[in-house]
Amino acid sequence: MKRWHIRDIILVTIIAIFMGVIFWALGPVYTILAAALAPMGLQPLANELLLGIWVMAGPLAGFVIRIPGAATLGELLGAVVEMFLGGIWGASTLISGTLQGFGSELGFIFTGYKRYGWFTLFLSSLTTAIVTFVWDLFRNGYAAYHLPFLLLLFCVRLLSIFIFGGVLTKLINNLLVRAHVLKD
Amino acid sequence: MNPSLKLALLVLIALEVSFIQVWSINVALIVVSLILMLLGRITWRRLLWLTLVPLFFSSALVWSLMLRSSASTHFLIVIFTRLFVYVYMGGWFTLTTPPLWLTHSLEQNAKLPSKFAYGFLAAFNLMPKIQAEVATVRAAALMRGEVLHVWSPRLYFKVILAAMNWSDQLAAAMTSHGFVEGAPRTHAQTVPLVARDWWLFVGSLLLVQVGLFVGLP
Repeated sequence: MKRWHIRDIILVTIIAIFMGVIFWALGPVYTILAAALAPMGLQPLANELLLGIWVMAGPLAGFVIRIPGAATLGELLGAVVEMFLGGIWGASTLISGTLQGFGSELGFIFTGYKRYGWFTLFLSSLTTAIVTFVWDLFRNGYAAYHLPFLLLLFCVRLLSIFIFGGVLTKLINNLLVRAHVLKD
Repeated sequence: MNPSLKLALLVLIALEVSFIQVWSINVALIVVSLILMLLGRITWRRLLWLTLVPLFFSSALVWSLMLRSSASTHFLIVIFTRLFVYVYMGGWFTLTTPPLWLTHSLEQNAKLPSKFAYGFLAAFNLMPKIQAEVATVRAAALMRGEVLHVWSPRLYFKVILAAMNWSDQLAAAMTSHGFVEGAPRTHAQTVPLVARDWWLFVGSLLLVQVGLFVGLP
């Protein structure tokens, strides 16, 4: 198994910073979307729709730096960057970041850090969606929602994570493979 | 207070608050964080921002819960105040903790391997360059009539290539300046970790436990 070296650490941090800048730039989009959905009582949907972009640092770092812990570290550092750039959610950003990263890490753990293709991405999206959803059941009181609405939230979340953390990550990965930077 | 302990305190309390439903403790934490932020001379604009944003999100969440669940009023109050706890405690932390000091503390007090501490620091110093690189990639694409969005793989591709280049160069630069992974180091700036820090940490944590389990609403 590969181990962490200074180059990988710098690389994962740079990727995290890049993603952190994007997370942070998305703040206003999230607020506007939430404001638009709030009157119908659909505010959580804004969160679900955009979540995929927020969790992208995990699978992206996991794919580019194929070392155990890369996904978790990438996502956690993204959260740290967001926090110090002036994101307001504080410690809860850090906890969410760790959980999101660990969620996508699970997908890589289950495939033994050996397969880097669609299957892993789908698995990773699924584990991310489940782990983060369980967290929101408590944190945001989702557990109180009626079941149909809860299911809707989960499906939207899974879809969003799969599109950004799965499809987009795979497309980026394809470009990197074509440029011979990564192995297929 | 020592930054590492402060961070641990923050995360532990945030975790507990997320699972336990006692709104009076939430209010107490909000008040304490507010006082600490005022003592730390927070600007009014920042404080206003830290209040309005969670106010909006809490209200929207509570409204949504009112419409689509049969949660009790007590539960709604808990959820409403909880978001403020996160934001105010986080506000106090970022206000009083410079990132550099935190990294030093994590390395010296929390025994984070120095390759991580210095790797993070090296990369964080590239922040302006990274922002500039994103702008450059976008501008270069625009010149060819291509618009790069948040969902364009090409944007990420180019930035990752740049990131790989920089990390190679930075790592080589650090090695050539004598940085050895895992070698013992001395520190120009030491972060103190004294008994008082531990007392504050254990004391605050105990106080929260007592509050949470004594049967307050």
